[in-house]
Amino acid sequence: MRLTQVFSNGRNVLKAARERIAFIFDHFEDIHVSISGGKDSTVLAHLALEEAKRRGRRISIFFLDEEVVYQATIDQVEYIMEEIAPEQVIPLWLQLEFYLTNATSLTETQFIPWEAGKAKLWLRPKKSYAIKFPPWDRSTERVADKNKGFGFYDVFTNFERCYTNTAFVVGLRGVESPNRWRTVSKNPASIGGQPVYWATTKGENFSLYPLYDWNFHDVWKYIYDHGLRYHKIYDYQFRKGYPINEMRISSLIHEKSFKALVDLPEFEPKTYDRLVKRAKGIALAQETGKKAKLFRARKLPKNYTSWRVYRDFLLQTHPDPGKRDILARRFERHLDNEYVARQQCRQLILNDYENNLPVDNQPDPKRQWIEYYMENL
Amino acid sequence: MIFIGYDDPAKRIEIDKYRQSRDIRRVVVISADEFPLPVPGSDQVTYSNVIRYVTFYRLMQEVDQYTLLVINECLRTQNRYDLTYNCIRNFLNQTEHQLIFQQLPQIDTAEDFMILFDFETRSRWKRRKFDLDLILDNAQMQVKPLPLTFEAVEVPTTPATQKKYTKEREKRFATLGAKDPHTIPRNLYLIGGQDKLAYLEAGERDREQWHVARNKRLNRDWVNTYSEATPEQAPYTIIELPHRFIEFSDFIRRSGQAGGRVLLADLKVDHWYFQRYQDWKERICETYASLQQR
Repeated sequence: MRLTQVFSNGRNVLKAARERIAFIFDHFEDIHVSISGGKDSTVLAHLALEEAKRRGRRISIFFLDEEVVYQATIDQVEYIMEEIAPEQVIPLWLQLEFYLTNATSLTETQFIPWEAGKAKLWLRPKKSYAIKFPPWDRSTERVADKNKGFGFYDVFTNFERCYTNTAFVVGLRGVESPNRWRTVSKNPASIGGQPVYWATTKGENFSLYPLYDWNFHDVWKYIYDHGLRYHKIYDYQFRKGYPINEMRISSLIHEKSFKALVDLPEFEPKTYDRLVKRAKGIALAQETGKKAKLFRARKLPKNYTSWRVYRDFLLQTHPDPGKRDILARRFERHLDNEYVARQQCRQLILNDYENNLPVDNQPDPKRQWIEYYMENL
Repeated sequence: MIFIGYDDPAKRIEIDKYRQSRDIRRVVVISADEFPLPVPGSDQVTYSNVIRYVTFYRLMQEVDQYTLLVINECLRTQNRYDLTYNCIRNFLNQTEHQLIFQQLPQIDTAEDFMILFDFETRSRWKRRKFDLDLILDNAQMQVKPLPLTFEAVEVPTTPATQKKYTKEREKRFATLGAKDPHTIPRNLYLIGGQDKLAYLEAGERDREQWHVARNKRLNRDWVNTYSEATPEQAPYTIIELPHRFIEFSDFIRRSGQAGGRVLLADLKVDHWYFQRYQDWKERICETYASLQQR
């Protein structure tokens, strides 16, 4: 008899996740659960809080508030921090100034959440118990990208440096993308003398991913079975027929999520109204965020016959000389063909000077076919 | 086990043999939408339905160690990591009984055979390229090679057609812009159509014989399209070859005709298409020869 691949070993992902969370409680005094308000972090926080309740312990729930998020995100974070098991929660709700890429505007390329002096324009007032000032030593503050300034990931880096031997628990799932899978599995950590394949070392702390093997339907089953409240936007997205991979909850303006703006007036009209006043470029992105000729850069605008000409035009007319130079220097290292130029146009339109949507720098596959057909037909 | 080149009655015989020799309590047949394989008492699933939740989750619950999965003519795309293939892999992980039937071993290149090999081996070597030793060591196969032949029938074209061809060719390249370059041969190939028709109507046509062309533009009741082909009308004379090989594979399935007489206008594109199919035939023959080594 041939050996078949066996997945059933009497355990399921829920049982395994509970065991992993128990393991975290066994090995760490200080536990921080990071949440975003999405479905995965809701499940993770619930699992962790159940375990905390069982052991009579308190854990930190960490939320970095980017300000430009759905109101439903805030409702969900409040639910997690204040309603599931409030006596077990140490709330770490961060409302600090940092730079967030604004993909919707070329003139205001960086958005500063909770910017001082603009309190009247903020999407909502700060939370009473939020952490409003950086808790780390500013003199040793680390900034990864000097061009950008103190950014989103720098908040995490510096915040984590305030702690040692702490478990940062994250609801990341491997099936979401190969990159996420790589994040979980690339450097297994050693905890309590044993290798842990769903954890990585992070300076003097650890990042742990107890939901790494969950599929999206496992998450929904858990939410249903436990009667948890979940982010309202999922319902709207579901009704609108969003594919699973686009049902995401995150900031509304960065280069990977600005598409959410297209449906924002329909989902949360009040949030949209406030956002239009708060950040630049919102109305344009709302109208054209899914259009092939603008933000998606799939089709050339009518007056252009080549992506290279369009790219040169965008580069010449870029309003920010600093960012233009970064992009121009990067493009100099690229091949000069239509395939690459289209991707460069996308970076220019989305103001992706940070290279978050990298260019596939390859010879134009179309050109090769054209040359072949010229020779043979 | 992988069966290449079996017709429907032969497939049913193999399924019956398998059912009788093992404890099989349920048969699920997953077939290409156009080529169902009715088997008494079986659950029929179409290829396009595999990815639908209503089908996928039902089968995930129902397929067990007593289930025989029949994968029938499911080689529909060359993307080895296609979602439909991945769904089928999930079903296959739940049983060790599977029979895989396919008319030709590949869509285009021998690499396509690895999709069938993945089905047979539960994707254990999913990242490996076509490797004959690996295949022969780990897969059970029965191969009935199809005698693919393409016979060229030269058709002269008028100077006007040749002029039109040159003009159209230049225009196509000049105005391609952002369009798909494969539209060039596709469109140029249609130019010789009227000359082929004239050639046939001038007396070269066998009145009893049916012809097959890419579309209905020739407007003759003795010319069918590839999707209309039937075994009763075969053998067809081929006025134009399809651009995609899978369309010709489907034509073979529909008509039972593996190749045939191909009208070949004296235009470069016609010769290019004919040579392309000759090369395709060679590649398939090589795969047949490789798979039959043991």
